[in-house]
Amino acid sequence: MKNIEFESNTAQRIYNDYLKRVEKKARVLSQDDKTEILMDINSHIYEGIQRETNVNETDSLLNLIEKLGDPDDFMQPIIAERKINEATRTFNPKTVYQALSFNFKNGIIYSIFSVLYLFLLAFGFLIITKLIIPSKTGLFYYENKFHSFGFVSNNEGMNEILGFWFIPVVLLAAAVFYLIITLLLRLVKKK
Amino acid sequence: MNDLFVHKWTAQVKKGILSFIVLSVLKDNEYYGYELIEEIKKHTEIEIAEGTLYPLLNRLKNEELLTSKWVEQESGIPRKYHVLTKKGNDTLQEMKKYWVNMNTSIQKLMIK
Repeated sequence: MKNIEFESNTAQRIYNDYLKRVEKKARVLSQDDKTEILMDINSHIYEGIQRETNVNETDSLLNLIEKLGDPDDFMQPIIAERKINEATRTFNPKTVYQALSFNFKNGIIYSIFSVLYLFLLAFGFLIITKLIIPSKTGLFYYENKFHSFGFVSNNEGMNEILGFWFIPVVLLAAAVFYLIITLLLRLVKKK
Repeated sequence: MNDLFVHKWTAQVKKGILSFIVLSVLKDNEYYGYELIEEIKKHTEIEIAEGTLYPLLNRLKNEELLTSKWVEQESGIPRKYHVLTKKGNDTLQEMKKYWVNMNTSIQKLMIK
């Protein structure tokens, strides 16, 4: 991206500082999204400066920046929306986490999704308990009938049939659960 | 008169119709961000906050109501032109119908 060159040092410093703030706020986005936002703002400032020829460039720049507002404020909805798009496209857990944190205040539905993603911790908990207390964690049958899947406090008379295969089964279940809720998130986003 | 109430109500109305205004201005025209703001001011006398326009354009693009393209300039600083899509055009027609109906109803209420 070509930066704007100002005659006044003060204007140049204000401009550089503002772009740095935009860049800092946009750093959670993909490189393409970040570049596009920076180019948008750069173009807006450049076109504005070209229009306001009757004011000195520092005042003109300050007016433009004031109207754009704090990057933290005006970029928040842009980042929230782009993050959700990125999360449901890539299925990357880090992006999903960022998308939910940026959208947490944008409706109860995102809070519900946060809770659903927190359920994934339960799968991790099951794997840990299988490693620590293997006899009480697994797929249990009682008198040849399914009894429970997970952790049981009393396993008297029960057969655990998966053994340490329980761990890959739980990992697979977690992956399927993750896939389903992320696809649901994509559906919600489209509405 | 409750000035504060009217002020809040006006702000809500403006916010609610902004997407309608943007789509209407873009009908049959291509504008870049700064130019779009000027056009909106020219046609509606609505003072639009630049910080509101960019998130809105992003949302409209996300909804596939408009698309954008970068056009290189001699200055080396390209402009991003926004164009209405077919879906955007259809949506605008629906919004117009609703607006006309709503306007008729309000007019009736006002002369009652």
